Amino acid sequence: MASANKNIRNFCIIAHIDHGKSTIADRIMELTGQVARRDMEEQLLDSMDIERERGITIKLAPVRMYYSAKDGQEYEFNLIDTPGHVDFTYEVSRSLAACEGAVLVVDATQGVEAQTLANVYLALENNLEIVPVINKIDLRSARIEETKAEIEDVIGLDASEAPCVSAKEGTNMQDVLEAIVKFVPPPEGDTAAPLKALIFDSYYDNYKGVILFVRMKDGTVRPGDRIKTFLSDKIYEVTETGAFSPRLQPKEALLAGEVGYIAASIKSIEDVEVGDTVTGADRPAAEPLPGYKKVQPVVFCGIYPLDGSKFNDLKEAILKLKLNDASLTFEPDNSVALGFGFRCGFLGLLHMEIVQERIEREFNLDIITTAPSVSYLVHKTDGSEFFVDNPSHLPPAAEIEYMEEPIVKAEIYSPPDYLGSVMELCRDKRGVFKDMTYLDTRRVKLEYRLPLNEIVYDFFDELKSRTKGYASFDYEIAGYERSKLVKLDILLNGDACDALSTIVHEERAYARGRTLCENLKDAIPRQLFEIPVQAAVGGKIIARETVKAVRKDVLAKCYGGDITRKKKLLEKQKEGKKRMRQIGTVEVPSEVFMEILKTNKDK
Amino acid sequence: MPGIYLHIPFCKHKCTYCDFTSFPDKLAFAEAYMACLYKEMQLRAEELRDVVFDTVYIGGGTPSVIDPAYIYGAMKQIVKHFKLSKDPEVTIEMNPGTVNEKKIATYKRAGVNRFSVGLQTAIDAQLEEIGRIHNVRDYLYCTTLLKGENFSADVMLGLRGQTKEDLRKTIEVAAGSGATHISMYALTPEDGTPIYTQYLNGELPDGDEVRELYDYGYALLKEKGYRRYEVSNFCKPGYESRHNLNYWRRGEYIGFGVSASSFFYGRRFTNTFGLDEYMKCVLSGFLPVVENEAVEGEDAKFEFVMLALRTSEGLSAAKYRQAFGSDWREDFREAYRRTERYFETEGDRTFIKDEYLYVQNKILIEYAN
Repeated sequence: MASANKNIRNFCIIAHIDHGKSTIADRIMELTGQVARRDMEEQLLDSMDIERERGITIKLAPVRMYYSAKDGQEYEFNLIDTPGHVDFTYEVSRSLAACEGAVLVVDATQGVEAQTLANVYLALENNLEIVPVINKIDLRSARIEETKAEIEDVIGLDASEAPCVSAKEGTNMQDVLEAIVKFVPPPEGDTAAPLKALIFDSYYDNYKGVILFVRMKDGTVRPGDRIKTFLSDKIYEVTETGAFSPRLQPKEALLAGEVGYIAASIKSIEDVEVGDTVTGADRPAAEPLPGYKKVQPVVFCGIYPLDGSKFNDLKEAILKLKLNDASLTFEPDNSVALGFGFRCGFLGLLHMEIVQERIEREFNLDIITTAPSVSYLVHKTDGSEFFVDNPSHLPPAAEIEYMEEPIVKAEIYSPPDYLGSVMELCRDKRGVFKDMTYLDTRRVKLEYRLPLNEIVYDFFDELKSRTKGYASFDYEIAGYERSKLVKLDILLNGDACDALSTIVHEERAYARGRTLCENLKDAIPRQLFEIPVQAAVGGKIIARETVKAVRKDVLAKCYGGDITRKKKLLEKQKEGKKRMRQIGTVEVPSEVFMEILKTNKDK
Repeated sequence: MPGIYLHIPFCKHKCTYCDFTSFPDKLAFAEAYMACLYKEMQLRAEELRDVVFDTVYIGGGTPSVIDPAYIYGAMKQIVKHFKLSKDPEVTIEMNPGTVNEKKIATYKRAGVNRFSVGLQTAIDAQLEEIGRIHNVRDYLYCTTLLKGENFSADVMLGLRGQTKEDLRKTIEVAAGSGATHISMYALTPEDGTPIYTQYLNGELPDGDEVRELYDYGYALLKEKGYRRYEVSNFCKPGYESRHNLNYWRRGEYIGFGVSASSFFYGRRFTNTFGLDEYMKCVLSGFLPVVENEAVEGEDAKFEFVMLALRTSEGLSAAKYRQAFGSDWREDFREAYRRTERYFETEGDRTFIKDEYLYVQNKILIEYAN
């Protein structure tokens, strides 16, 4: 057996948002000479614009580095960055499967936070060795000893040898590298065995085709080799192998234990699935690697091109995003009001927002999105059952025996001062109280069972505003429960608008209906006739507002000098009209479809 | 039949709503300016030699602020350079605060036979607030001088704090003074004018309130024998402004003076808005045109529809066919289908129903390109 290089360390960094993960990564790269400081764009790993602007990491961006340790030996480091937000747990688990260790960054001024815990547990589940690092010791409010104690108490890790650093100022960063060498185990694997490589990410390159990001588990791969994956029968010839510097850097071969990329002129985006295993076409491995648990989307919304003729562009954009965002799901959809588009599934609200933003920015498309929805289990009177996430696909009320909705187990961490306010919010959102634990004098952990459809609406914003931003929140799907749900329809001048329908709890229908009508009344421009805006449940009107008919829209004077100006004015208004959607007799600006997302409180 | 427009860009004081080209501080340039105006006519004389003009309109600014001899001179130039019809309509705009018996006598001698008097409102406090230099008494004096003449009075809607009662009083003053024609305009707050600030701060009546005033004024004018023949224009039978009707029939017109616009040979063109530039240009023997565009095809058809639908006579299918050789309902089939219910027809004429005339932009937009 030709064992893998013992001087490789594959690791990721996990941290709560703002605890300094990207800065730590930057410093590690600097210290290993990977990137000269002056050449560095700040926070190199966050290569998407959105990531840098929001200060969050969404995509994994691997990088290989070399480090000469104090023991006199040179080590190969493969760092796989991870996203911090709860929505991207899936991405995190992908990175974790490619590593043997994880550097856990904890902010000395904040201590251990909810998301930190979630990701640490994920890492432990993946049998990763965890190296705690205490960051931001330069700040006056740093509580180093307390933080260490917290790591030991809350997580159960030995923090006595944890490096205490300031990534911002570069203090003690060498200790982190030494800790990685010392605590992260080298990879196992046999370079002579049949090829087995885990695909943990991919993207499409216009010249090279699909680029596979792989963690080599067994065997060797080099240009000219014939490869295949377990989920597809297609055979490809490897054209390039290499490592990440973090840009692609070709290398002769990839060996068991390494992290790198494979290009094999793979033309079709659909042929590759992240989580699949690459093996040799001529000497295949007997079975694939475990891969990851396939995640189910929990939040859904419709995405439509603002300009109906751009449907194909939108399709192309979503396909390309899907390639390196395996958790995104989609299917074609058709709305009476919005035309052709897609029904997309996301891991959470932030994920949804990011995808929408990427479509708009990276593909330069204007889109309309519908209100977020969740997937309901419908039991029909004829005994059949099925999932529905699009309100307009719900069968008539008479055919529904009952419905079930997804419930989450939510953990909310809040300073005790805001307890009352947080509990009130949870009650408003149909939450069921489960438990409350005082973690210390400053933090309380509340456990609730909450319907997911209440969370996708405005829960997070409300929680933040009620606690001045102090509370944090984490949730996991806890199954389905029977619930009294109804479809809330919106009628404009008597015509139902499918894109504005929502599924709500019976008790909330009245309040939601009223809020929606009020919002819509303000958002729909006055037209030549009066427009009743009605909310209805099962054909019964439960709320009504009226958009009054316009009474003055005329150019008072139109003489010789005014004619050209007036003509241009009308042409401009016509241009604006093109961006409107026709719903029955009513013209509706596309922004109206976002009104439904507005978070002003139900009355 | 084609018309001539003369622009006199001077006034005593700029009104708070005014965004016309007018220079209250440059009255001293009047003589030089008028010389340029005459010269500009001369530059156009040759090309318009065979055109017969039916109307002349002297607008501003305040044409009555300058020495009436210049008006007399301008009319002499017109007669010298252009052909006028047998019975031309010649209108001059007047501010009641700037007239006297002698001025009016001179205008009449020059051939002016129609006067447009800016009353605006019969509430003195409102006149003062909008920066008018006259009061109601000045208006009454002015109209006494115009007794027996064909004159029009301007009335404004949408002034700050204006009530129906204020409007009633204004219309009564206008009608009582013997006006044959009344223009009732909604104030349009244009960016850059002092009144725009009031508008931004919500101090002016909103669209719904203006419509209330308009409907009230419309009913009152009707009662007093004034018929509406265009969105903002009302008159006793037979006293329509021929000059303005020509605009709405998409007839040709030539404008002289700073900022004046023209429509001739299928082209719309406009003179420079700068006084200095205008004078320099004309004195060097060049036409002071700064914008000039051909209006053709769909664009021309849309203009025709847009202008015709402002009037009560409406859009004549025969005249449209005469102009473009096609059926307007065919040319605008989809737009017509969408707006048909807002129209009434009489013979070959189609016009906007009374209740939709004041929201016509929403209808016209369907016809825009």
